[in-house]
Amino acid sequence: MTDVAAPGHATGAAPTGSATLPGDAFVTLDRGTATWAATVVARVDRRWRLLAATAVPAPGAPASDALAELLLDRVREADRALARDLGLDEPGTLPPLVEAVGNPTAQAVVLAATEATRQRLEADASAAGWRTTGASAERLDPLDMTRLATRPDVAALIVGTADPPDAAERDLAGELVALAAGVAERRPGLPIILVGAAAAGGSEFSPGTEVTAVPRPSADGDAHLRAVLAARRAGPADARHALVAATATLAEVLDLRVELLEVGMSGALRARAEPGPEPGAPVRIAAVEAPSAVLGLVDDDAALDRVEAWATLGLDRARLRDRLAELRLAPWADLGGDGALLRAAALRASLQRLVAGTAELDGAPPDLVILAGGAWSSIPASAALLVLADAFRRPGVVQVALDSARLLAPLGTIEDAAERAHVLGELVPDALVPLGTLAIARGVRTGRQVGQLRLAVGDAPVDLQLAGGRLALVDLPPGQAGSVELSFRAPVDLGVRGKRFALRATGGLAGLVVDLRDVPLRLPERTEARRDVLGSWEAALWPERDR
Amino acid sequence: MSGSPFVAARPLLVAEPRVRIPLLPGDRIVVSAGTNVAAGDLLAERVRDPRLVEVDGDGLAAASHPGAWIAAEPARRGTAPAGELLFEHGGRRRIATGPHPDLVTAPAAGRVVAVHPGVELVLQLGGAGIPGTELLGDPGHGRLALLLADGDGRIPLEVAHAGAIVVFPGRADAQTLTRARAMGIAGAVVPALAERDRRDVVASEARQRAGLHRLAPFPVLVLDGYLRRALAGPMREILAILAGSEVGLVAAPPMLVTARAPRDLPLPDPDRVRVRGGPEVGREGRFAGLAGPRRLPGGIVVETARVELDDGRASVVAVGDLERFT
Repeated sequence: MTDVAAPGHATGAAPTGSATLPGDAFVTLDRGTATWAATVVARVDRRWRLLAATAVPAPGAPASDALAELLLDRVREADRALARDLGLDEPGTLPPLVEAVGNPTAQAVVLAATEATRQRLEADASAAGWRTTGASAERLDPLDMTRLATRPDVAALIVGTADPPDAAERDLAGELVALAAGVAERRPGLPIILVGAAAAGGSEFSPGTEVTAVPRPSADGDAHLRAVLAARRAGPADARHALVAATATLAEVLDLRVELLEVGMSGALRARAEPGPEPGAPVRIAAVEAPSAVLGLVDDDAALDRVEAWATLGLDRARLRDRLAELRLAPWADLGGDGALLRAAALRASLQRLVAGTAELDGAPPDLVILAGGAWSSIPASAALLVLADAFRRPGVVQVALDSARLLAPLGTIEDAAERAHVLGELVPDALVPLGTLAIARGVRTGRQVGQLRLAVGDAPVDLQLAGGRLALVDLPPGQAGSVELSFRAPVDLGVRGKRFALRATGGLAGLVVDLRDVPLRLPERTEARRDVLGSWEAALWPERDR
Repeated sequence: MSGSPFVAARPLLVAEPRVRIPLLPGDRIVVSAGTNVAAGDLLAERVRDPRLVEVDGDGLAAASHPGAWIAAEPARRGTAPAGELLFEHGGRRRIATGPHPDLVTAPAAGRVVAVHPGVELVLQLGGAGIPGTELLGDPGHGRLALLLADGDGRIPLEVAHAGAIVVFPGRADAQTLTRARAMGIAGAVVPALAERDRRDVVASEARQRAGLHRLAPFPVLVLDGYLRRALAGPMREILAILAGSEVGLVAAPPMLVTARAPRDLPLPDPDRVRVRGGPEVGREGRFAGLAGPRRLPGGIVVETARVELDDGRASVVAVGDLERFT
């Protein structure tokens, strides 16, 4: 039920290698690059329910059966009668597996005739999930370009010019293709993607070389190139493609504008989906990947600066760099204590990078933001909402939910769109942990009393004075909802500009959070002062951080 | 059901490893696929300060393919230098050339199974490899020697270790490694090395590479990561057996290679685990089963396991904080 091509993702349909849904129970497995998350899902009272879930380090040997057995043992232990009804009471009898696979980030080299073309091609490749290194004939000679392209870690070579090429590119296109053909001789099996005028050069390559030609004559050339690159990056049952499909399906079944923010160890994804303009119209979906936003990647001093700016743990710069490098080596380890604080800092930096790298998806706030991927599950749920509020300073009111059992990617691989919608629709209450409602206001003056909040829920309304520069927290547990009136002394931007707002708040583990801090957030320059400020916000929404 | 499959597995020994020796365009390869080599045998001559020359292809020897070595020969204007053909376009050849003062030698005995000019040589080695996480510097080989820390935690380096590959019992630093190199030590194996020290070691290697008379390579194999920790027990046991024998250090994949077969080296009990994070970090013991989901300090809930530690205590540890050796 999707009509608009997503940059880097052709249709929002299930990825190749998709699953068809089995009988009354199944096991899901999200095979991430850092951890594997498994669940048991079964029909209970004619409805799909989540029965058990866990996550373990991505093991060195295949252990999906062992993981499923572990969960089934727990189901049997908790309710033997239910296990018997579902045919799960016999150890060793495993229900079918529905899995999504997180593929490690792959490296592509972009060789272009001009700097402008290189930048455009690198942006397209990055949006499709490739980490890129690029060079143009304007800056590097053929020897340096050959050295770049023949590195053993290069998984694809993209060679391009504009189409039609300008005068400078016309002279260089033939030489670039010849250079690429030379690289292909040295690196048998390296896929070559020829873009623009270079696409006509396929005959220069030896027979057996895998060459894909992508001329760009049409208006949707960019989308076509991204789709080609995304398909080449992804393997069967690719988790990120599946998340895009699941996002589109959620927008359809919930009839909400949905945004998914996924951060992991091998990549990051932002996807937006919204229902069609009229009932029955197809969902509109757009998605962009940002490989540079992977968790904990510190490839230069600027990247370390970004994490350090959010760090609330007392580490010097050298030690912080080492901790982040260890995080990349063993992301499943050291989750307790300041390991969680480290992840929260790294996650903020990654989220900022994801949002900055996917600006083409910016727009009005969605109704629902879903946090997905292993990185979000490595900190407590209420802290996840704070991380979102800290790093994504978008005025507006959104509901926030967490894909804590990492069900969305496996369910996104269900091939039949109607069946996927049916299963996801029934599993939403189990699959998405509600974190609460987040309202971010821009243009709030500093001061003790800038406005007032009234929450009507049940018989007793809650009144709260609002202070500028602070977070206002209202306890609103999962399952509860209420009407909120916000009144300010001066106009603020809450997605729309005004002084009085009426909105609907839904509850969650963090409740209702009204964020009256600066947009963008301004933090003290001095390290100690900055840590204190960040720590005070963490203490409010993350009470377990020091225990 | 044994719970150990949930613990991250770390390979301790790799049988008959296949290793890659990186090459650059312009390097001159002196072996061919199928050649048997011994440790120290010449594989290639490394080009230093390569440059690109463009020669008219007309009148030169028969057409060649990219990657081929083109001998020096008379050309329409002067002499075309010897070098590696990058590609030919518009009747003109682009050749990578330059002086070749540096030698690429085999880090261990094996057979050349693939030659990709300008990219890599692939060697099939006999024996076994002990994987690490990173190799700094170029591959090398030498006799293995284990260093012992003195009572103050200092590691004494001796001239007698010249030519040897030394194993540091704990985290080393760049200063100690530089001193080791200056004493003629052939390479080092360290459990961990901080990022700052890695940068210093790499910078030192680059300075050596730029020198007119290049010294022998000084590879540094990092077995674990970046934070201070001791050698894992099972690793220490194997290295102790290999002490005194010839070993090699290779970069791709990063590992220590030996001619000894894996069956001649001890593997730990399958339930043997080491704690790599959390309050019990560095300790070792026996995996005694899963303990179910528990909340860690900081608020996150994870799978945990019971571990009988070597010091006699029983402890519950996050499964993610454990590693086992296979």
